[in-house]
Amino acid sequence: MRKFLAVVKREYVQRVRTKFFVVATVLGPLLMAGFTIVPGMMLGMKSGGPTRLAIVDQTGKMYERVAKELMSGKKTSEDNGDQAPDKPPAASNSKERVDQSGKLFRGSYLVEDVPLNSRAIDDVLKDLETRIQNRELDGYVVLPPNLLKEGKAEFRSRNTADLFTGNYVVGAISRAVRGQRLAEARIDEGSVEAASAPIDVKTTGVGGKESKGEVSFYLVFGVGFLIYMTVLLYGQFVLGAVIEEKETRIAEILFSSIRSFPLMMGKLVGVSLVALTQLGIWALAFLIFSAWAAGASSINLHIPAMMFVYFAVFFLMGFFIYATVYAVVGSMVTTTQEGGQLALPVVLMLVSGLYLSFNIIRSPNSSLAFWASMFPFFAPITMLVRIVTETPPLWQILLSLGIGFATIVGLVWLASRIYRVGMLMYGKKATIPEVWHWVRQS
Amino acid sequence: MEELKPTLVLDHVSKSFGDFTAVSDLSLQVRPSRVFGLIGPNGAGKTTTIRMIVNITAPDSGRVELFGQTMSTALQDRIGYLPEERGLYKRMKIGEQLRFFAELKSLRGAEAEKRIDAWLKKLDLFNWKEKRTKELSKGMQQKVQFITAVIHDPDLVILDEPFSGLDPVNVELMRDTILEQKAAGKTIILSTHQMEIAEKLCDDVCMINRSHKVLDGKLREIRRSFSRNAVALQFQGGDGLLNDPALVANIRQHGDDTEVLLVPGANPQELLRRLVAANVAVTKFELVEPSLHDIFIEKVREVA
Repeated sequence: MRKFLAVVKREYVQRVRTKFFVVATVLGPLLMAGFTIVPGMMLGMKSGGPTRLAIVDQTGKMYERVAKELMSGKKTSEDNGDQAPDKPPAASNSKERVDQSGKLFRGSYLVEDVPLNSRAIDDVLKDLETRIQNRELDGYVVLPPNLLKEGKAEFRSRNTADLFTGNYVVGAISRAVRGQRLAEARIDEGSVEAASAPIDVKTTGVGGKESKGEVSFYLVFGVGFLIYMTVLLYGQFVLGAVIEEKETRIAEILFSSIRSFPLMMGKLVGVSLVALTQLGIWALAFLIFSAWAAGASSINLHIPAMMFVYFAVFFLMGFFIYATVYAVVGSMVTTTQEGGQLALPVVLMLVSGLYLSFNIIRSPNSSLAFWASMFPFFAPITMLVRIVTETPPLWQILLSLGIGFATIVGLVWLASRIYRVGMLMYGKKATIPEVWHWVRQS
Repeated sequence: MEELKPTLVLDHVSKSFGDFTAVSDLSLQVRPSRVFGLIGPNGAGKTTTIRMIVNITAPDSGRVELFGQTMSTALQDRIGYLPEERGLYKRMKIGEQLRFFAELKSLRGAEAEKRIDAWLKKLDLFNWKEKRTKELSKGMQQKVQFITAVIHDPDLVILDEPFSGLDPVNVELMRDTILEQKAAGKTIILSTHQMEIAEKLCDDVCMINRSHKVLDGKLREIRRSFSRNAVALQFQGGDGLLNDPALVANIRQHGDDTEVLLVPGANPQELLRRLVAANVAVTKFELVEPSLHDIFIEKVREVA
């Protein structure tokens, strides 16, 4: 056991200390932040001063309201009506991003009243066009006399591709018009707002269990994707760790000191801890970042705590199953390049698991669903889908975990056997029959 | 000394890989506090034999018994092994590396640290403790590797070609270190194809060739039994003196030396007496013991 720990420690410390690990750990969150914040910032960022808007108010009574709304800096999306309220998290992420950038130019509007003063509207507009040409103005809004009835207004700007300003102006005008309409109908604006507060519908499954809903479902795919990415990223590490002693011929000393099973297990655990360390740091960075970006209150996902436990457990199981595949492959080959090619087909099984889960969502208690969630290479995803949709009996979940665990141990055992025999026959890559022979022989 | 139990016993051990027989029906005994030479040409089966001793591979048949017990993983900690194929982690520092290998032999903590420092100092490597393997010369790496074999103070030290790649100064250092280990009561198995080295260091030898044991026993006794009653001579004059078939069987010229092979049972003193009586100026008169090399060649020919 202590020898096993010595191997774990060596694998871990040697890798965590490398420059590569430190750089990747630091760069990861930076890149992540870069890909999420920077595009939003770029879109939202306005070089130069505030947006200068002129308002031509033909109604004679709307200027105050519109100007007020424009200066208020309220979120653009609130009243647009073009944003479905039940967008999935992916979409709402981008929504957050837009809002984020919207905040950036809160209050950065300069509004100017252009009274007609009995001039012809065309003359006034011509003046405004000239001012836009001369870059004294960024755009103007025309509020026609029948605005309240017909609800049509005009917004001209130099840059029509600037969606943010466009949306923002449209939102402000809509709110102003609604307010004015309500006022004219003698309805209290406040009570309308209260009456139209969004409704929170709680979907409840049979048996009174609160449904985990869509969010959990997306998380399942998230976990699947995470396993996939992690395995692709760190499988190479496992491969490298297993091959390292082959290249340096250290194995002979190792084998004269420790049995091959704890050795292989130690390598696997050591490298996996490296992966989990890095992922942990990234997850933490991500949480801090999203809390900062969205405000802690808005990431309330309403997921039961038990769900997170399942996510964690099945993620670990998935990761270890596929990592051991890399260990088995590593024990058969002599270079990491060869190994990567050999391991890829197996890793693609994970993707098949994702495809299967589409079927399982619809019939989570079918026999296909059952067997798919027992097959260790699919289970990390398929069992999670079942848990989220219609939680299967506990014994099934435990059985699936048991099979997964047995698979991991079995694969490590297999890897250690192949490794031990293959090691002693230095050199060439083994063929499958040879490998089979080794397994039986040693 | 003789009544002590052998450290290691191989009892009719065989091992083959597919069609290839690496070791065939090998039996031998290694006695404590002695240097045991496992000698034979490359490919004779030395390394396979050693691997069975250190429990890397199991024999197909036969028994390996160490310290009076059947070989098991628990006994591995009492063996130190310097394999022929050297290997150290390239990017690890020497100190860390030794600590890791010590831990694999169940030695850890302050005691490990103390011994690592002592050994590094002894082998002139202390200044390299914080350096990485790749910064060291071949010879230095070899010495580090040797430390990994003895750091845990094993009762049995197995050294596979320990001198290859060392310069003369380090060969000397290594030899002294091995003899110190022997003096400290360790049993040492020395595997080599270099007969001259085995000749100088070993108390007992086992010769193997093509997977078969050719010969084993105490080196001194082997040499005596192979003594061909030869004398190396350097002299002037005395022409025709050696042409007596009753005394001399053969004469060979080795550079300045004349090697005289006496007939079996003849007394070398008789030759010396005749030389002196004939007033020959004798500058060298030496009874020649056969070299291991010669013995080996003779035995191999005999078997073939």
